[in-house]
Amino acid sequence: MKNYSYLLIFIWAILITYPTFAQDFNVVKCNDSKPVPIHPKALALQKALDKLTAVGIPGVVAAIYEEGNLWTLSSGLAKIEGQVPMQPCHLVYTQSIAKSYMAVTIVQLAEKEKIDLDGKISDYLPKEILAMLPNADRLTVKMLLNHTSGLPEYNSQPTYVTRLLQNPERIFQPVEYIQYIAGKELDFEPGSRYSYRNTNYVLLALIADGITGDHGKYMEEHIFEKLGLKNTYYKIKQGDSYGDRLVNGYWDRYSNGIVENASVLQNTNVASMVGDDGIITTAEEAILFLKGLMEGKLVSNESLTLMKEWVLDKNGDPQYGLGLDYTAFLREPAIGHSGGGLGSGSQLYYFPEKEIYMFFGINLGTVTDSPIHQEAEKILEEIYGVVLGK
Amino acid sequence: MKTRFLLPCLFLFLLTQNGNAQDDKAKDYRNFPIVVTLQFQAFAMPFKDLKSNFKNFGIGIGTEVSHSSYHNWVQKFDIIWFKNKAMGSGLLFSTQVAWRPYLVSNSFAEIKAGIGYHIAFRPTESFIQKEGTWRTVQKQGKGMLAIPVGVSLGYHNYQSETFVSPFVGYQIMFLKNYNKSIPVVPMTFVQMGARIHPVYPDLTQN
Repeated sequence: MKNYSYLLIFIWAILITYPTFAQDFNVVKCNDSKPVPIHPKALALQKALDKLTAVGIPGVVAAIYEEGNLWTLSSGLAKIEGQVPMQPCHLVYTQSIAKSYMAVTIVQLAEKEKIDLDGKISDYLPKEILAMLPNADRLTVKMLLNHTSGLPEYNSQPTYVTRLLQNPERIFQPVEYIQYIAGKELDFEPGSRYSYRNTNYVLLALIADGITGDHGKYMEEHIFEKLGLKNTYYKIKQGDSYGDRLVNGYWDRYSNGIVENASVLQNTNVASMVGDDGIITTAEEAILFLKGLMEGKLVSNESLTLMKEWVLDKNGDPQYGLGLDYTAFLREPAIGHSGGGLGSGSQLYYFPEKEIYMFFGINLGTVTDSPIHQEAEKILEEIYGVVLGK
Repeated sequence: MKTRFLLPCLFLFLLTQNGNAQDDKAKDYRNFPIVVTLQFQAFAMPFKDLKSNFKNFGIGIGTEVSHSSYHNWVQKFDIIWFKNKAMGSGLLFSTQVAWRPYLVSNSFAEIKAGIGYHIAFRPTESFIQKEGTWRTVQKQGKGMLAIPVGVSLGYHNYQSETFVSPFVGYQIMFLKNYNKSIPVVPMTFVQMGARIHPVYPDLTQN
């Protein structure tokens, strides 16, 4: 028995000295060159943002463009530990808004006749990937762009989710995402209906890599540089705090209103994803991207019209174009994209009838439910009201 | 992949071997052994990502009592504590019924299932906002219902003196209400341990 006691003491000693896993990132105050907006609408919006952070959203950044004015605002904290205030110059995760950037990349390649949007994806993907997609010759590039392919979602496979959460520092390669749906049947007849799948955009990234060699570099040259976006980054480097400007991300793990710092998991996850995610930017530059797209600075008018050909739902309501989501806020039609992640949430939309652009980014994960979100949703309605003047 | 095929084969083997060598009428069991285990835990789907199990160590202590005075049906009671730096550590209380037929000689297999309560902690310091101020709640976690099922292989050689019965096992645990979006979360344990069967004094004798 004495021997066992020694063994137990030894094991206990190992356990208590086991290192704690650091989940936070360094972030500091940044230099905001823009003056604080004093327009009544901006002041009303600031008040509403403050309400949002008062119900438990750690931090929020916002940018609004209207009638030639671009206002950037923020509230709350970029990092709770250390009480670092959130500022418009901080970099935030756009999450799935990256799909709009990816779609622009593909449409630009189509304009250069390097890809046929109605062509089969089997003509563009490497053999290694095609071996996992038994129905690739039934799917077109356009079906990936507008989520009508019927490919299964990698993101909801339990094996993927558990591996991701259990290994927060593990970088996933794009091919691994496809492995999670390898050999699986399509969920529905291709082209028959719309169903949003991240898998579609991972495949688009792989297709774009095949054409350009490095679609990330292509995106930098043909979108970021073209629009003068100096604070927008794609395929981010794992562990890089981008000059201590990248906000920390928080997660309500147990849906009970308590948040924990999930920055390492969030950062690694975003650093792994291509096509469906992977962009960090400032609130202002998110607006400049969408504005540039809508004003024809990135693609031709003909291509933009194509991007706005909406797939309809079963009620006949428009849902999604090519990398663009069609929705309504307070019954006001909006075009853009939203994004949600483990430690972040975002919205980037253009209201064509009002000619207003808006971007919101929060550093609280939106993929799992939280009582904080329920409170925040009520305030979001108020925010949309301020933005739209309703 | 190999594990996936190995375990069904083991089950089939067990079924065909039920009532083997030591299933005689002689009582071959002593209640309330001290069960000590080394636990290797992971939040993973069953038989997936086994590598992760060996990143998260834990220990367990427990005991068991026979339903029939024999070795083959027992009720187990366990407390397991594990450290998981990525997903948060945990403290688990469980009781399981185990069917434990002999295989060859003194080796045995075990199939077990039961119910438990898991206290899950957070991996890092956490915060709650009250009256506009963020307050730390350290690593405060949450309790949740656990449904354990598992298999083991071991060696049991009954002796009238204190003896040790070593075993290895694989335990799957389903946690209910992890959060509102993921209602059931699986965790797995690779277990190595021993039942120490001491000779307890007979307090009924003068």
